[in-house]
Amino acid sequence: MPETTTNDASAGGRPPALAARRITKRFPGGVVANEAVDLDVAPGEIHALLGENGAGKSTLSNCFTGLYRPDEGTLAVDGVPVEFHSPGDAIVSGFGLVHQHFRLVEPFTVAENVLLGEHGRIRRSEAEARVAELGDRYGLEVDPSARIWQLSVGQQQRVEIIKALSCEAKLLILDEPTAVLTPQEAESLFEVLRRMTAEGRSVIFISHKLDEVRAVADRVTVLRGGRSEGTHVVAGTASRDLARLMVGRDIDLGTGPVPRQQRPTAAVVLRVEDLRATGDRGETALDGVTLDVRAHEVLGVCGVSGNGQRELAEVIAGMRARTAGTVEVAGTVLTGADPRAAHTAGLGHIPEDRLHTGLSPSLSIEDNLALTAYRRPPLSRGPFLRRTRFRARAIELMERYDVRAPGPTTPTRVLSGGNVQKVLLARELSSDPKVLLAASPTRGLDVGAIETVRTLLAEAADRGVGVLLLSEDLDEILSLSDRIAVIYEGRILAVVDRADADVEELGLLMGGDVSHLSATPARGSA
Amino acid sequence: MIRLERRVDQPRWLKVAVPAGSVLTALLAGAVLLSLTGHDAMETYQLLLERGFTSQGAFTATLTAATPLLFTGLCAAVAFRMRVFNIGGEGQLIMGAVGASAAGIALGDGPVVITVLGMILAGAICGAVWAGIAGALKAWANTNEIITTLMLNYVAANLATYLVFGSKSYWRELGGTGAMFPQGKPIAEGAHWPSVDFGNFTMGFGFFLGSVIAIGLFVVFRSTRFGFQVQVIGDEPRAARYAGMRTKRAIFGLMALSGAIAGIGGASDVGDTRYVLDPKALQQAGYGYAGIVVAALARLNPIAVVFVAILMGGLSNAGRALQGPDFPAGLVGTLQGLLLVFTLGGELFARYRIRRVAAEHAAADPADTPGGAPAVTA
Amino acid sequence: MIAALTHLLAQVPDAPTTVLTSGRGINDNLFVIIAISAIFYGTPLLLAALGEMLTERSGILNLGVEGMMLMGAVAAAWTSIHASGPGWSVVLQALVASMVVGGLTALLHAVLVITFRVEQIVSGLAITILAGAAGLSSYLASTWELASGPVPHRLDLLDVGGLADTPVVGPLLFHQNVLTYFSWLLVGFLWWYLFRSRTGLHLRAVGESPATADAMGIHVNRYRYVHTVIGGTLAGLGGAFFPLAIIPLWSDGVTGGRGWIALALVIFGFWRPELILAGAYLFGAFSSLSLTLQARNVEVPTQLLDSLPYLMTIIVLVVVSTGWARRRVGAPAALGTAYEREAR
Repeated sequence: MPETTTNDASAGGRPPALAARRITKRFPGGVVANEAVDLDVAPGEIHALLGENGAGKSTLSNCFTGLYRPDEGTLAVDGVPVEFHSPGDAIVSGFGLVHQHFRLVEPFTVAENVLLGEHGRIRRSEAEARVAELGDRYGLEVDPSARIWQLSVGQQQRVEIIKALSCEAKLLILDEPTAVLTPQEAESLFEVLRRMTAEGRSVIFISHKLDEVRAVADRVTVLRGGRSEGTHVVAGTASRDLARLMVGRDIDLGTGPVPRQQRPTAAVVLRVEDLRATGDRGETALDGVTLDVRAHEVLGVCGVSGNGQRELAEVIAGMRARTAGTVEVAGTVLTGADPRAAHTAGLGHIPEDRLHTGLSPSLSIEDNLALTAYRRPPLSRGPFLRRTRFRARAIELMERYDVRAPGPTTPTRVLSGGNVQKVLLARELSSDPKVLLAASPTRGLDVGAIETVRTLLAEAADRGVGVLLLSEDLDEILSLSDRIAVIYEGRILAVVDRADADVEELGLLMGGDVSHLSATPARGSA
Repeated sequence: MIRLERRVDQPRWLKVAVPAGSVLTALLAGAVLLSLTGHDAMETYQLLLERGFTSQGAFTATLTAATPLLFTGLCAAVAFRMRVFNIGGEGQLIMGAVGASAAGIALGDGPVVITVLGMILAGAICGAVWAGIAGALKAWANTNEIITTLMLNYVAANLATYLVFGSKSYWRELGGTGAMFPQGKPIAEGAHWPSVDFGNFTMGFGFFLGSVIAIGLFVVFRSTRFGFQVQVIGDEPRAARYAGMRTKRAIFGLMALSGAIAGIGGASDVGDTRYVLDPKALQQAGYGYAGIVVAALARLNPIAVVFVAILMGGLSNAGRALQGPDFPAGLVGTLQGLLLVFTLGGELFARYRIRRVAAEHAAADPADTPGGAPAVTA
Repeated sequence: MIAALTHLLAQVPDAPTTVLTSGRGINDNLFVIIAISAIFYGTPLLLAALGEMLTERSGILNLGVEGMMLMGAVAAAWTSIHASGPGWSVVLQALVASMVVGGLTALLHAVLVITFRVEQIVSGLAITILAGAAGLSSYLASTWELASGPVPHRLDLLDVGGLADTPVVGPLLFHQNVLTYFSWLLVGFLWWYLFRSRTGLHLRAVGESPATADAMGIHVNRYRYVHTVIGGTLAGLGGAFFPLAIIPLWSDGVTGGRGWIALALVIFGFWRPELILAGAYLFGAFSSLSLTLQARNVEVPTQLLDSLPYLMTIIVLVVVSTGWARRRVGAPAALGTAYEREAR
């Protein structure tokens, strides 16, 4: 494969927009997040930073934006050496970062957020005019006087980009920008990026998805285990080669389904009928959701973040009150918001915020594994706990679910994401649920952990558990589900069999476009 | 330049060294303050030690002074363990004293076991109700318990004052000197709580009772389902709710328990020490705040509360005995405050590793990010 | 003790209680009297609450208001007794002293919670215990023997433009002391500062989303330090109002829990200066009600009336804590949480 050298980047005569040399960043406890990484970004280039979760992409970008100070290495902007002591320095040097979790002040208007990055007197009307003008120029339309919390996730991302552009950013760094977008929204984002590079600005595009990198980037630097695996021209490199560099071994590129046994006509274990609920701000979050999940199947619910997935999971689990509708778990109708009743009826739940909702972070693994079972024998007798049973159970479950930790008394807060998720799965699956509700179960995990989690979910379904999988990651939905439901603005727009699913069509549905739907009934059970 | 790194685990010696260092630094700061205001620090400390612990009869008085602190300390420790900030030990103790003195007056001539039990029960119920108000409001109306418990302190103090000074209530002595100067009605002699003579010192029943409660609480927190709930809710209420714990009920129950303990403290004040409802003395003593200091210094461990209460009780006992021109009011409170502040600050050294780093990285503006992590300039 | 206080007050010409309980001429009616005392007793609440609002807007909760007020009160009383110069200059020095001492007390809180990462609730309580009625303020007052006589130089009521006797508005608008006028200016200034100025915008961003502010190059902890200390200076100033205007003779715990009411005021003023002003005067009216009524020979159980402001605080707090109010006007999102750049 053609590996470019650093000299190629400046071949045009202009120095690179960013030249990073031997960037090394260590964290306490001996973790090396980046080691001697070299990176050159040419003016007018979209440069992808490819690597799986935990490869050090975010740490590297934080070194470029002044949030972290590298332990070793140098940075140069347009050929001039720089040193960033704070994010302010990076902004002055013309760097703009669109963070994975948006850096926006929710109660502020769009214009106020843009004003945050500036100096001097506040001129609100000017700021609003500039937002409108930038939106016009790059196709980033958004109402300047709207408050952030009123905007959709896609719109919020536009605000982030406008904010960076308004600070005269010459180099825009986007951290996993498509994770929250529909395929169509992602395509229009790529269009915005191309317009920017046409003006001579540069883009660092951070991603773990090969096809995206292919679609948008000129060159790509692959990171693995904190080290650079070289910079390559995208057009001249095979996907298979990039994938091998990223993971360090040959992998199956497709998003083919995890192998599953087929049991077509099992009983319905989760029935959700005309569910309505309000969100945190009193807005309508669920607007009549109807779904059925059968034993032995995985029903995937896909949709852009913020379309009611969180509320749906919370209502089913009894964490949020509903305004109307019914939830029935394994024949038990759940009335009111009561997590214990849902659990008793046979619901297992892997919440979206696994460390803070699923687990008690400062408590030990053994305590967390007992969180739901402590009330009954054998873990307690009368009002007293039996601590030795806690320990024995923890050791057994940690062994069975391959939880890697110093011991059962280790607090869960220090575990890696994958091990946290394994603790959670161990606890929920060990109570023999009829239904397993899993919200974004692999978000932020590394490849190995993703495989483990997906296998555990598939095995559960094979054993007869009905799995309701909520995820914004379409690939995950496609790889696990038997049927796929699309949620948009608190409604299920369509339910299709995995075999009939078409990525393009799902993407349109996730964006609320139902024009191509012929006569597919928007009903839960196909 | 100096960097802070979060410790993954705490070495054993740190758990001793850090609190010890904090106490020494606090005493040093107190000494500086004393010297600056024209007092001899060494002499003052020596006097405190003598009058608090070593001189004749001092330890008996210290135990008496420690008793209310033991109860309010346990009250705060119980609630704080679940991160419910009950600052209302003061008001709950006063209400307990109100209830117990009524019981003491009413039951006075009966058998001593019945009277003492009646006073304890009345004190516990009144304290529990008073704390329960704030607990219910927190659990079901989402109202900040810090403010409500505090406001209820003032209401309780006003109420007790009204009962003795502002009305002709059951609690007011109307005959004898009481006709001239408003004062509370004393409980019958038969209602005075017993005490045990240990030769060198005497221990009131209240202190014994408080120690038993402390041991009971230790067991509850360590090995019961309720204790487990408190631990989980205190760490992460969302996870607790999600795991099916009735968090609202637990908040209410814990507040009521916390208030009941303070209420028994009020009962002990009437039964052990004053034999009368004395609102002015209760207000001036400031048992509630001192209880928070005790709980914080004991790191919310009920057994440790007993020992810290004795230490703090020794301080205030000595402070009271020494009160005069050479020994200004407020010194004991100031020393308690300093101990608390330095102990809290000292925690940093237990949780973080402080490291010098090479000079080449020292260019950063040190004022910028004293709070940055994982590695920051400070 | 009470008798001694009354005796001393009688020697003080123009003691505030007499000013407040009888109006002059046409203004001697209950409405005007209550309004006057609302402003008078509301002023220290207003100053302290505005300070705490600033602090909380930066994301720092300081429960040490009562302690900071008492430290300000001690500093003001000492200065009024010991400083030399013409009366107005002594009062000015006393005000400055109260601000400096209040600010230093707040600085201790800032160091503990920002640099030493102590939990904010616990640290604030520690500040109040250290500085409070049984702590340092009492120690200093007794070491300096502040209780041996009344404070000689106090805040005088100004007769602005000779309009003091104008019906109704005269005593309310044109017959106040300098600190009350300052507090009015402060309300207007803080409104402009928060909602119109750039630093105010940054401040609100720090309190709502420190990570965003940090990424935009705003020095989060610098903002927090500065506004915590400024909050302390205002609390100190509020404390100074007690020896300099309300109770000229020192007694321990002279602020009587007003610091805690100021904290509650911030909550139901929804972190907005103009609403805090209204709330402070409402509480001012309530906290002087028993005094006013007694002076009018209305028989009331004093202790029960004195409980009203505290009970009202609880009731209003319950109302504003409901989901409805919470959704619309919440606390700054990052209030009470330390900011650390995300660790891995």
